[in-house]
Amino acid sequence: MQRFVRGAMLPVLIVLLWEVSSRTGLLQFESLSRPSDILAAGLGGLADGSTLLATWQTFEAALFGLLLAILVGILAGTILGLSATTERIVGPTIEAFRPIPAVAFIPLSLLLFGFGLPMEGMIVTYACVWPILLGTIHAVRGIEPRLNEVARVLELSFAARMWKIILPAALARINVGIRVAVGFALVVAVTVEIIVNPRGLGYSLILAQQSLRVDLMYAQLLWLSFVGYAINAALRNVKVSQPALLVGARP
Amino acid sequence: MSAGAARVVATPAPASAASARAALELRGVGLAFGSSADARKILDDITFDVFQGEILCLVGPSGCGKTTILRLLSGLLQPSSGEIRFEGAAIAGPSRSRAIVFQDYSNALLPWRTVAGNVALSLEARKVPPQSHGEIVSALLKKMNLQGAAGQYPSQLSGGMQQRVQIARCLAQQPKILLMDEPFGALDAMTRQALQDELLQLAAEQKMTVVFITHDLEEAIYLGDRVFVLGSNPGRIIEQIKVDLPRPRSQLETREDWRFLAHRHRLFGLLQGH
Amino acid sequence: MKQRAVLLNLGALAFAAGILASWQILSDARVISPIFFPPPSRALSELWARFADGSAWTSIQATSTRMFVGWCCASLLGIVLGAAIGSSRLARDYLEPTLEFVRPLPASAIIPIAILFLGLSNSMSVAVISFGAIWPVLLSSVYGFGSINNRLQEISAVLGLTRREFLRKIAIPSAMPDVLAGVRVSLAISLILAVVTEMQASLPGIGRDIFLAQRSFRSPDLYAGLILLGVIGFIVNFALAAFEKHALRWRNPYS
Repeated sequence: MQRFVRGAMLPVLIVLLWEVSSRTGLLQFESLSRPSDILAAGLGGLADGSTLLATWQTFEAALFGLLLAILVGILAGTILGLSATTERIVGPTIEAFRPIPAVAFIPLSLLLFGFGLPMEGMIVTYACVWPILLGTIHAVRGIEPRLNEVARVLELSFAARMWKIILPAALARINVGIRVAVGFALVVAVTVEIIVNPRGLGYSLILAQQSLRVDLMYAQLLWLSFVGYAINAALRNVKVSQPALLVGARP
Repeated sequence: MSAGAARVVATPAPASAASARAALELRGVGLAFGSSADARKILDDITFDVFQGEILCLVGPSGCGKTTILRLLSGLLQPSSGEIRFEGAAIAGPSRSRAIVFQDYSNALLPWRTVAGNVALSLEARKVPPQSHGEIVSALLKKMNLQGAAGQYPSQLSGGMQQRVQIARCLAQQPKILLMDEPFGALDAMTRQALQDELLQLAAEQKMTVVFITHDLEEAIYLGDRVFVLGSNPGRIIEQIKVDLPRPRSQLETREDWRFLAHRHRLFGLLQGH
Repeated sequence: MKQRAVLLNLGALAFAAGILASWQILSDARVISPIFFPPPSRALSELWARFADGSAWTSIQATSTRMFVGWCCASLLGIVLGAAIGSSRLARDYLEPTLEFVRPLPASAIIPIAILFLGLSNSMSVAVISFGAIWPVLLSSVYGFGSINNRLQEISAVLGLTRREFLRKIAIPSAMPDVLAGVRVSLAISLILAVVTEMQASLPGIGRDIFLAQRSFRSPDLYAGLILLGVIGFIVNFALAAFEKHALRWRNPYS
């Protein structure tokens, strides 16, 4: 309890000081609006649905990109993880792309897809595929060799081997890669929206700034913070065993 | 079986002590956790002296508070009751003159420094001029059979060698007392015996005062001038014996000596009973 | 075995060359659109031309400076704050919840505020980069300084080390692996945010070059910029990794 009180002290103090100094004229900044105004703007945005719509749009893009990244990442990661030779030959070419930031591809994506969901989704995919790919390679390499031998003796097809043995066995570590990717997805989506894409929370942020609706801008920022925090918290509570059950592994 | 007497008659100082002066005196020392109403007593009314130049061994089952006593002696802990005096003055906190050798040696060494660097830490603390470091460190390493390991990192060493490094570092403090917390417990039997003998040799050369904690009864009898048996819940001294075996001791002969076996026989039951 | 390694390396080279060659052929033959996927030869010649007339160097310098300044500010601040917070239980109690709340905020979301206060300027860029890059260093420093082995603290007490000596001889070396890991991630983030702020505020640098290239449909320029970024990212990361390996050589004395 004591820890909770202590932790809450700083933000409460800041908000109070901010409000008081704005009202008493101590803090006069065009770029700084009052907490009360921010709250009002925020509630307004929620009430008329614009904030929720923007949130959904961002989520859409993040989800799109994430799912594609999971598909590609796990597939490629499994192939590269299973065959060291393939990894040695194909790896360096893939690695050459790694140092390039995902955001650098925004113009290219814009060129290929124009404004909208696919363009943003592809950037998210590019950013998210790396942790998943690497996590999967690492996970597949770490599978008990005995299991592979069992698969070969049973003469399982590649697909069956993937589904019944490789994926469940590697799931825990792949999960870690996916968690990292989820963290990226939201950040990347918002970034793309701030820079170019006219949809989502990032766009409403920069729009508020450009139309000098400062209180709305801060409100959106707080909302974004809250959303990010909520997702992180949810991630922390997701158990590793649940995905395993999803894939049909025996508990 | 002697009951958990609050005060045990102090055994006379061993003849081998340089003088009968007490290096450490404990009077009615107790340690409890929690508020006075439902305090958990870890130690109860511990009273004894540690004499200059002796090797005092404390034996007892796990959880009887022997490590706690050692930490109290080092000054890392303060007693809730009673007092501890070092050379006549009350102990306020840890001090260089009371070196403590920890059981978890890998945690007690600086992994980013070489063996020489680790030993030098004590010299740096003592503000010994850097020019003399090399010489002093080499001498200590030689004494602990670590020649040649000076440039290696702790991760490259075996458990026994790491423990030797820790002891070397403690010696570099030039302590008046060496406190050892089950130092050889995590080592294999052969290394343990080698280190026991090295310790004995060291103690004899330097006329060191050593307080040695162990759960191994035979080790305690082998090493010590006196052996105290501790009981648990709460921790207290339930028996003190004087080990009248001749020095220098030998792994083979001493352990077969009838007096060794007699002591062992007598104390074995005490440990089992608690 | 060495023969096999050489063979594999050649294979990797051949694969990469093969990809480039196929791309070249398909693009020239217009099987894939040369507007969206120009032949590598054109991207490379474009790159060459920009090096020749010096514009590539200007861009590299602009982006690198931005990245380094932001990264240094973030690292220094992050380490100092992290050390202070990490060593004090009290400070952690007061500050951690707020930090936990601010952390998941994408650094790019700060851009609108930064523009409001600092305009479309280099200081805006450095401010955003610092804000984004400080988190990994801060958090790993808090962790590193907060998890110093108890034994080492006790030994420090027994040896009578002063607070300063403890910091210098024990705390900092002990926290170094974590701090360096955080610093590495910070560097990656610094590069990303440098590019982002350049695109957003049209500040000189590779990010802006790529952005403008798209606007004028000059795709070879676009790819040239991507190549440059890749090279910078690689070199910088490699250098840092080498430094890390040296500084932490006590971790792997056998390799």
